[in-house]
Amino acid sequence: MLLSAREVSRSFGSFVALANASLDVGEGEIVGLIGPNGAGKSTFFNCVAGDIPPTTGRIVFSDIDVTRASAATHARLGIGRTFQVPATFEEMSILDNVMVGAFLRHHHRGEARAAAREIIEFTGLKALAESPAKSLGTPGRKRLEIARVLATEPRLLLLDEALAGLTPTEIQEAIALVRRIHAKGVTIVIVEHIMEVILTLAERVLVFNQGLTIASGKPREVVNDPAVIEAYLGRRHARDPGAHAP
Amino acid sequence: MTIVQVIVGGLLLGAVYALFSSGLTLIWGMMNVINFAHGEFVMIGMYIAFLIVTFLNGGPLAFGPAAAALLFLFGIVVYYSLIRHVMRGPMLAQILSTFGLALLLRYLAFWIFTANFKTLPQDLLPGVINVGGILIGVPQFVAGIVAIVLTIGLHLLLTRTAVGSQLLAVAEDRQAAMLMGIRPDRMQAIAWGLSGAGAGIAGALIATFYYISPTVGESLALTAFVVVALGGFGSVPGALAAGLVVGVIQSLSAYLLGPVYKDIIVYGLFVAILWVRPEGLFGKAGA
Amino acid sequence: MIWFGILLAGLFVLYPWVIADDFYGRMGADVLLAAIGASAWNILGGYAGQISVGHAVFFGVGAYLPLLAFTHLGLPPVAGVPLAVVISLGVAVVIGLPTFRLHGHYFSMATIAVAELIRIAISNWDFVGAATGLMGPAVARTWLDLSFRSPIPYYYLFLVVLACLLLLTWHLQRSRMGYYWRAIRAGERPARSLGVPVARYKLYALLLSAAFTSLAGSLYSLMVGFIDPESGFGILRSVEMIIIAALGGAGTLFGPLLGAVILIPLQTTTNSLFGGGGSGLTYILYGGIIVILARFEPGGLLDLARRIAQWWSRRRDGVAVRHAA
Repeated sequence: MLLSAREVSRSFGSFVALANASLDVGEGEIVGLIGPNGAGKSTFFNCVAGDIPPTTGRIVFSDIDVTRASAATHARLGIGRTFQVPATFEEMSILDNVMVGAFLRHHHRGEARAAAREIIEFTGLKALAESPAKSLGTPGRKRLEIARVLATEPRLLLLDEALAGLTPTEIQEAIALVRRIHAKGVTIVIVEHIMEVILTLAERVLVFNQGLTIASGKPREVVNDPAVIEAYLGRRHARDPGAHAP
Repeated sequence: MTIVQVIVGGLLLGAVYALFSSGLTLIWGMMNVINFAHGEFVMIGMYIAFLIVTFLNGGPLAFGPAAAALLFLFGIVVYYSLIRHVMRGPMLAQILSTFGLALLLRYLAFWIFTANFKTLPQDLLPGVINVGGILIGVPQFVAGIVAIVLTIGLHLLLTRTAVGSQLLAVAEDRQAAMLMGIRPDRMQAIAWGLSGAGAGIAGALIATFYYISPTVGESLALTAFVVVALGGFGSVPGALAAGLVVGVIQSLSAYLLGPVYKDIIVYGLFVAILWVRPEGLFGKAGA
Repeated sequence: MIWFGILLAGLFVLYPWVIADDFYGRMGADVLLAAIGASAWNILGGYAGQISVGHAVFFGVGAYLPLLAFTHLGLPPVAGVPLAVVISLGVAVVIGLPTFRLHGHYFSMATIAVAELIRIAISNWDFVGAATGLMGPAVARTWLDLSFRSPIPYYYLFLVVLACLLLLTWHLQRSRMGYYWRAIRAGERPARSLGVPVARYKLYALLLSAAFTSLAGSLYSLMVGFIDPESGFGILRSVEMIIIAALGGAGTLFGPLLGAVILIPLQTTTNSLFGGGGSGLTYILYGGIIVILARFEPGGLLDLARRIAQWWSRRRDGVAVRHAA
């Protein structure tokens, strides 16, 4: 078991964002987290990533207890994540962005640069390597975020809605990229709204609703689960574009 | 002078600190911005009082509201012309903007009014009150009471009115507020206006018993920072409690240890807060 | 580009020889000294993005210790320099450790509070001269006193120190430390997610910056031979460092030097033009420049120049650039 999250809860004051969520991820799996907006999946995601500490519960990564560990420690141990709203280093070039990630594993400039160039090639950003990050559009930024975190050589990669807002062509390219990353041996947990992506990529799915996990299993099973259908249809918001009926 | 008198004096002064710090903490809560020019806003309030007394023969009932209104407008102008833009930019620009504004205002005051201290005439709010054996100057008493009333008023405005809840909504969660149709931009401008008004009235009140000079802004701003840090960034009730505490600590330090220690103890308290409990008494953590 | 740099360096080296005049020689020394302080500030405020508005605290410590060593122990002032650095580092740790765990503005407020705290404390402490301040050797006893009548030795001393500082900064900013600093400046949260130990690297930047600012203070009191709470720890000292760095370009290697080259002569001119009220007007000017910079050109003149150069070369090539999506 690469990652084992048990009974993870998180409250903000009296508001319970997440209650007793559990997830086991084996090495080499691709697991999807789905659920309506505000269901708690982002909170769970951030707890696993080390961004916020859980109120209760335990998270173990590769036999190490990381429940209270900082985000930087998570990265060092091999957990990488992207951000829902891309947080690239705007004024720095794409190469420099990725180098920041590479410096985690390579302390010298030359090595870090070489490693960064490899990743940039792998993620298809080679042509833009010297351009500043701010010159990219949203899909480019998302791709850069992935490249940057890949440079930290993660064993577990947490993708936070990395495919939202992309055109169908871009989605296909992104799915292909995720597959290539997975083929290199990286375990992936992906939070996503777009059903098609989840059905295509995820081997297993965990469904969140109102802070609780309401279903888990293979994607086809889960989308036919009555509780899941109710969660989406019963609470569908006009502004949620990804939650179409299974 | 007895200890009780010192404490009461400290409480009254502390109430004034609470008044001008409450606006500052509101801005912080909404925008995570510290206005380094806040002390200068108070200073402007003091000079407005001076000008109205000297040239228009007005009394407190004239210059109080005038300072409030003018600084309310000034706060809004500063927001729209400067703050709104730098908020979206690098940290350097954010901090330099209000810091530069502070310098600009302070030295403009030096140039216009010279460094000579000015005072308002003693007969504006004459006399001394005797409350159970404690002697309090009328200006200090009025200032303290008005300050407490206004600070509580601000708190009520925030928690009981529609506008107030909109302001708090933006402070709580900007995105959510936007989705509910609230315009954060306008709310932030109002917050700056309120902050200015608070500073302005506080300045007008202080002017009735303290000297007026271009330099007062610096130590007043730092006092406000201490109050905001102690009370908790973003909390108006916190600012009220902390203001009173700081006022008392300051007065006691001056009385027991000497006037020099007044500032040293307060700034030292600030450093201590940062070490021990940065989120203050009531506030949300800044991290 | 390299030749331009060599030419410029040559100009700096030859300046005092060419301008054989005490007034301009002294101004040159002032420019270099201001560049040292601003470049030191730049490490923390420019590269790492942590805006200290109370940096005078390190300058003051650096300025006082040498004169204390002279006044109380009769030593050559330069003997006090190492201890000044140590004390400055200690103060840096006291400010940095708690505040670097928190959001950016906390640090700025803390720096201003600590600087004021120390200024007031010093003003009332007789051992360090209270409000009157301290003086250095009136006449040089040996060459160790570093008390020269002409500004030229100071000029070259400052030039050497500045060159060392810029060399060190150049080396660091292209290393892992520099990349991490810029990442911290660009976004602490994503930086953390990439394994950057944010608080630790902020502290490194602060320590380096504090040490060199202390050195700048020491060089100041060596040349001027006098220090008091206002000129050592006053807010205007802090402001000067920031505005010079920001004007030229915070976060660039030569920005602070450029800022000093522009601002110091400007300051000397306004001070003499407006006579007694001059210093007031100078600071109105400073305040105005800072606000304008913050609002319109936070990247400073070097950034503006770079953008103009880009625009010019695009125009020349006749290409309308559309950035890749």
